[in-house]
Amino acid sequence: MRATLQQDLFPETVVVPPSTQAVLAAEAMRRRNFKEAIKLYKQLVKDEGLRQWSEGLAQAYAARASELAARGLFEQAQILLDNTAGPDGTVCNPLLYVYCLVKRGQQQKAAEHALKYVGTGKLATDQAARLGEVAAALALATPCRLETPQDPQSERGKWLEQAAAARQAIAAWLEGKPHADVDHLLSRISLRSDFKDLRLILKALITAPLDPDRARRLMDAIAPRSPFATLRGAVEAALAAPGWLGCPTGANAAQRSFISQIHGLAESGSQSPSQLANAESSGPGSLFAYLIRRAETMPADDVRSACFNLLPRIPDRIARFEKSFGVLSPFDRHRVLALAAEIHKDTERAEHHWVAAAESLEAAAGSQAKLSVGVIYRHLAKLAGADDNPDCEESPSVLDYLERSHKADPEHLATLLKLIGHYRSTNRLEDVLRLVEEALERFPNDAAVLRQGVEWATRAKDLDRAIGLAHRLLLLDPINASVRQRTIDLRILAAREQMHSGHADLAAKEIAEAAKLELPGAPSFRLRIAEGLIAIERAGGEEAEARLREGVALVGGGVVGWFHASLEHLLMRGAADRALLRRELVEAQKGAPSKQAILSIALALEADAVRENSAAVAPLIHQIRGWLLKGRSFDWSADEVRRLGQMLWQTEAYKVLEDYARLGVTRTADAGVWRFYQVIARTRGDANKLREREEEDLAEIAEDAASGGRLADAKLIWSFLNAGNPAPGTASHREFDVDDMVTELLGASLRDLSPAEVYRLVGQHGAPKAARIVASKLKKSPLGAIAPAEAIRELAQEMVESVVESSATPRSRKTPAWLR
Amino acid sequence: MATLDPFTTLGVNESAGDEEIKHRYLSLVRAFPPDRDPERFQAYRAAFEALCDERKRLEAKLLSNNDAALARLKSRLLSAARPFSARASRASVSALLVEGVAQACAPEEIVAQP
Repeated sequence: MRATLQQDLFPETVVVPPSTQAVLAAEAMRRRNFKEAIKLYKQLVKDEGLRQWSEGLAQAYAARASELAARGLFEQAQILLDNTAGPDGTVCNPLLYVYCLVKRGQQQKAAEHALKYVGTGKLATDQAARLGEVAAALALATPCRLETPQDPQSERGKWLEQAAAARQAIAAWLEGKPHADVDHLLSRISLRSDFKDLRLILKALITAPLDPDRARRLMDAIAPRSPFATLRGAVEAALAAPGWLGCPTGANAAQRSFISQIHGLAESGSQSPSQLANAESSGPGSLFAYLIRRAETMPADDVRSACFNLLPRIPDRIARFEKSFGVLSPFDRHRVLALAAEIHKDTERAEHHWVAAAESLEAAAGSQAKLSVGVIYRHLAKLAGADDNPDCEESPSVLDYLERSHKADPEHLATLLKLIGHYRSTNRLEDVLRLVEEALERFPNDAAVLRQGVEWATRAKDLDRAIGLAHRLLLLDPINASVRQRTIDLRILAAREQMHSGHADLAAKEIAEAAKLELPGAPSFRLRIAEGLIAIERAGGEEAEARLREGVALVGGGVVGWFHASLEHLLMRGAADRALLRRELVEAQKGAPSKQAILSIALALEADAVRENSAAVAPLIHQIRGWLLKGRSFDWSADEVRRLGQMLWQTEAYKVLEDYARLGVTRTADAGVWRFYQVIARTRGDANKLREREEEDLAEIAEDAASGGRLADAKLIWSFLNAGNPAPGTASHREFDVDDMVTELLGASLRDLSPAEVYRLVGQHGAPKAARIVASKLKKSPLGAIAPAEAIRELAQEMVESVVESSATPRSRKTPAWLR
Repeated sequence: MATLDPFTTLGVNESAGDEEIKHRYLSLVRAFPPDRDPERFQAYRAAFEALCDERKRLEAKLLSNNDAALARLKSRLLSAARPFSARASRASVSALLVEGVAQACAPEEIVAQP
C-alpha cells in the first residue's frame, strides 16, 4: 500500500547515466546555457564526486558570473565566484572577482584578494602577469596591509619589496618632496616588476616641468590595458593643458580632478575650467546659458563674442542674446540666420538671409564692407552651384552672384577668371572680351590673365598685342615650353600676315625674332620651314632650301614633312615656285603611310588658321589622296575615325572619304560613324541631298550614339541633319521625320523627370531652384547635347511652372503642358 | 588634434592682421616642427593657409563659426594655473588607479561594448 502511494506521488523518473550528463553539460556550456551546465555538473559532482566534474562546475559558475557581471549584477556574480573558492580562498576567475569587488566599491577587499595570488604560482603565466599588475595598482590605491616577506629571495618576497619601494615613491611625490628624492626612490623600482608603470608615470611627472616631450615619451611604454593606463591618460591630459578643456569629453571626472590639482586650480567655483568644460560638453545651449550666467565675472567682449558665435547653432536664443548684449545689427542677424539655415541644409533659406546680409552691407562705404559683400556673393555662387549637381554652375543665379561679387570686390582674381570661364562656356564673347580687358588692366602680371589675353587677342586678330602679352607671359614663366611654342607660333602668324602684304623682309624679321625664342636642343620645325620658305621667297639659293629641308626633316620628313612645308607655303600665300614642294611631295608618296603619319596630317588641319582656309587646303589633300587611300585598311579607333572623317570632309576629299567609309562600315566597331561619313561623301556634305533611308539611318545612329554616351558623335550628326534647308517637295516628309526624332529625343531626355519628380523638386527646393536643377538635368540628357542653353532653361522653367500650376488645383490636377 | 577653426588652432584673435598671424604661425612651427609632430604641423599649416590674407580671413570669419573667444575665456580661466609642478591628492590618484584596475579586469564582453 505504501509503495503504491509513493509511486503515485513520485512518478518514475528517468535515470540519466553520468556519461550522458557530462555530454549534456559540455553541450550546455557550448550553447552558453550556463545555468543548465551548473545544474548538470552539480548532479555529476553529487553522483560521482570526480575532480573533473568539480572543475567543470567551477568553469560553469565562472562563465555565469561573467555573464551577470556584463549585465551589471556584480554582487550575484561575486556570490557565484565564491562557490568556486578553494580552501585558501582563491577563486576560479580572480580577475573577474577583483572586478566585481571594485565595482561594488570594495577596493580594500579586492586588493587583499589580488595579493593572495602574487608569487604563488597558482595561475597560468599570462593571467599571473595581469593579476600581478592589478595587485600592484590596488596595493598603491588602498591602504591594505603588506606582510613582511618571510623569504626576501622568493618571488613573493621580491614583489612585496618592490611594493614597499613603490609606496614610498608615490608617497614622496604626493607629499611634494624634492624631485631628486622621488627620483632616488624610483630607482629602487625595477623596470621588470609589476610596478614599472608607476615608475614611468612618476618619472614623467617630475620630468614634465622641464621636458614635457620626454615625459610623454616615457609613458609610451605603458600598455593601453594596463591598470595604470587611466592614470597615464590623466597625466597626458594634464601635459596637454590648457588644451584639455577643448576636448572635455576625453576627460572624465577623476581625470579632471587630477588635472586641476596638478595645475593648482580650484575644482569647484563659478569660474572653474571644469565647469566650463562640462557646460561645453553638454551642447551649445548649455554653454550659452553658462556664459550668460557668468557674464559679469568674465571679460564682457569675449563673453559676447563667444555667445554670438554660438547663435548659428542655437538661433532660438537670439532674443536672449539681445536681452543681454543689445540688439543685433541687421547684417549680424541675417548672417546668424543664414549660417543656422546652412547647418540645417536649408539652402534656400540660407540664400535668402545671405542676400539680405549682403544687401545690408552694400550701403556701407568701408573697404572691409565691400570685401565682405564680395565674400558673401562668392559664397552664394558656390551655394547656387553646389545644389545637387555641378552643372548648375552655369545657371543665371551663379553668374549673377559672381557678377555681384566682382562688382563689390573687383580685385578678386579668382572671381574674374571664373566669370570669364562661365561666359566662355556659354559663348558670350562680348562679356569675355570685356572681362579679359579688365583683368589685363587690373592684373597685368598674372600668368592666368596673360594666357587669357593672348588667346583673346589672337581671336580678335590683334597679333601685335597677342605677341606682346605672350612675351610678358614668357618672362614670368620662362621654362614653360608650351608658352614658348605659342609665342613662336604667334610670330609665325605675324610673318604670314607680312607675307600676305608682300613684305617678305618684315616676315623674315618676325621669324628672326621667333628664332631668338628657340631653346638649344629644341628646334621648332614650323619655324625652320617658315624661315626656309621666306628665304626662298626673298632670294632663293641653296642656303634657303637647306633651311626648308631642315624643317621638313625635323617633323620626320616624308609625306608629313613635305605636307607641312606645302601647307605653310599655302598659308603664306607664297608666290615662289612650288615645283620643289610638289616634286618632293610626289616623291615622298612612294613610301607606305603609317597611322601616325596620317593622323599627324589630320592634326595639322585642325589649326584655326587652316580651318579658315579649308578651301585653299583642299587641293593639297587631293595631291596626297593616293597615299591617304593606302591607310584605309588600318584599324582606326573611334576618336581617330572622327578626326579622319572631319579632315576629309573639311577638305572636301569626298572620294577618299567614300573609300575609307566603304571599308569602315564593314567593320562592326564604329560602323555607325563610318556610315555617317559614307552619307557625307555621297551627298558631298549637303544635307539637302539626303535620301529618306539615309535620314532614317543617321537619326538611328545619332540616337545610338546619344544613348551610348557618345554625345560628340550625336551632336555632329544632328547638326548635319538640321543644317540643310528642306528641298521643295520633300519638306513635309523631312519635317515629319525630324519631329519624330525630336519626340523620341524628348522622351529619352525626360525619362528621369516625371511630373512627380519635378513636383518633388519644387517641394524640396522651391520653384526657382527646382528650375535650375531641372535645367541642369536636361543639360546632361541627350537633348542637352543639341539644344541651346537658353532653350533648355526655358523648357525647365515651363516644366516647373506647369507643376506649380497643376498643384494649385489639387482636386483636378492638370497634366503639365510639356506632357500634353 | 581635434578639428578646430583656424583662429582657435593658431590661437589668434579674429581681428589679427597678416603680421601677427604669420608671426604666430612661425613660432608654432618652430615649437612643433613637422618632423616631430607632423599632424600638429599640418593643422597649423591649414589654419595659416585659411587666414593668410584678408579675404580668406573674412571668409573664415563670416562663413563659419569660430571658438576664438571661447578659447580666450578658457585660457583666462587657466591663467591662474601654476606650472606643471603642483601635486595631486592621494584620493585622486587612488581613484584613477582603481578605475584603471576596473578597466584592466573587465571581462572581454564588457570591453567590447561601445
